[in-house]
Amino acid sequence: MEMQPREQAATESPDSGGGEGRPPQVAGAQEARPEDRLTLLLRLKAQTKQQLLEYKSMLDASEEKTPEQIMQDKQIEAKIEDLENEIEEVKTAFEIKRLALHRMQLSAALKKNLEKINPQTSVLMDNMKHILKLNKLIMKSQQESWDLEEKLLDVRKKRLQLKQASESKLLEIQTEKNKQKDDLAIMENSDKIKTVQQNLQTEIQVTTVIQHVFQNLILGSKANWAEDSAFKEIVLQLEKNLTMIK
Amino acid sequence: MSVLRPLDKQPGLNTATILLVGTEDALLQQLADSMLKEDCASELRVHLARSLPLPSSVDRPRIDLIVFVVNLHSKYSLRNVEESLHYVDATFFLGKAAFLATGAGRESHCSVHRNTIMKLAHTYRSPLFFCDLEIEGFRATMAQRLVRMLQICAGHVPGVSALNLLSLLRSSETLAPEDL
Repeated sequence: MEMQPREQAATESPDSGGGEGRPPQVAGAQEARPEDRLTLLLRLKAQTKQQLLEYKSMLDASEEKTPEQIMQDKQIEAKIEDLENEIEEVKTAFEIKRLALHRMQLSAALKKNLEKINPQTSVLMDNMKHILKLNKLIMKSQQESWDLEEKLLDVRKKRLQLKQASESKLLEIQTEKNKQKDDLAIMENSDKIKTVQQNLQTEIQVTTVIQHVFQNLILGSKANWAEDSAFKEIVLQLEKNLTMIK
Repeated sequence: MSVLRPLDKQPGLNTATILLVGTEDALLQQLADSMLKEDCASELRVHLARSLPLPSSVDRPRIDLIVFVVNLHSKYSLRNVEESLHYVDATFFLGKAAFLATGAGRESHCSVHRNTIMKLAHTYRSPLFFCDLEIEGFRATMAQRLVRMLQICAGHVPGVSALNLLSLLRSSETLAPEDL
């Protein structure tokens, strides 16, 4: 150490003898002092008890032999963490036991209280009845909400099913349409229709030729075809263009 | 004796003693004053030291809590504290030692990284407090916390021991160093 380590001390006397934060009393301090002394003594007793407990626990701890072997850092860390976890577990177990004990004490006191007083008229019974009513209400509303959720689920399932059914139907329709189109295309390209169409064409041509022949016959005969109605009809019919009918 | 042991002396009646170790004299003095201003039923004694080992010539009472103050602005204070740690018995770290890091507010002036001090506190399994001792409000709050801790470590609070407090403080802290 290069420099002398300096040390300073500062002290403070208590504001009031065991007052624990109470405001200092100017008048009437005489009567207050014995009470202060009593609280001070009680507090000192609690302190000394706690300090004694600490010393005892240190003694117990030092009796346990610590392993002297040289361990690696990681192992030491792991051991320390194990010990810390042990402390936590002991603490939680203690807390749980204390809770259980409190609960037992509470129920025992309650039982004694109930035996003493008239059970019909006490506020406690009113409270308990109110609690029971509320619990029933809670259970009922929970049941209702569960039912509603079930219904919702059912509706959703049905909707899903309908959607799937409509999907399949649409798919069917589409395949049918495609098949029809294919069939139509096939039919149009088939040879039978082609030959039929060709025959039709030839027949039309033949008929047109016959029409022209008759037309020229009638015109060449120089007969008056406008006079006779039947004759006129025949001539007009010959004028009809057959390619338009197709 | 050069090594500080926690339970080698008898406790004074209604007395609790805290030892503040650090290089920043002004800050330590201010913290000591704030602590003494606190309302406390027991008698408080605050000892300040630059570094350990303490001179054995002085007759001092049993030390209940050691707080190592590290200034994040200077690496020297960290080294000083690290060297002083050798003169403290291992049983002190069962809840009777704590680390206090000051100066974390001004990030640009920090030469010691936050994680360094967090690792140090994690190695020694002691609680770490961050507090800007220069700011009055924070200092007063910190003083209050230290006074409560001191009362527990001195055994003035029935039902709570230093080790108990340590495990209580631990649960919220152990997450941070594991994220590093």
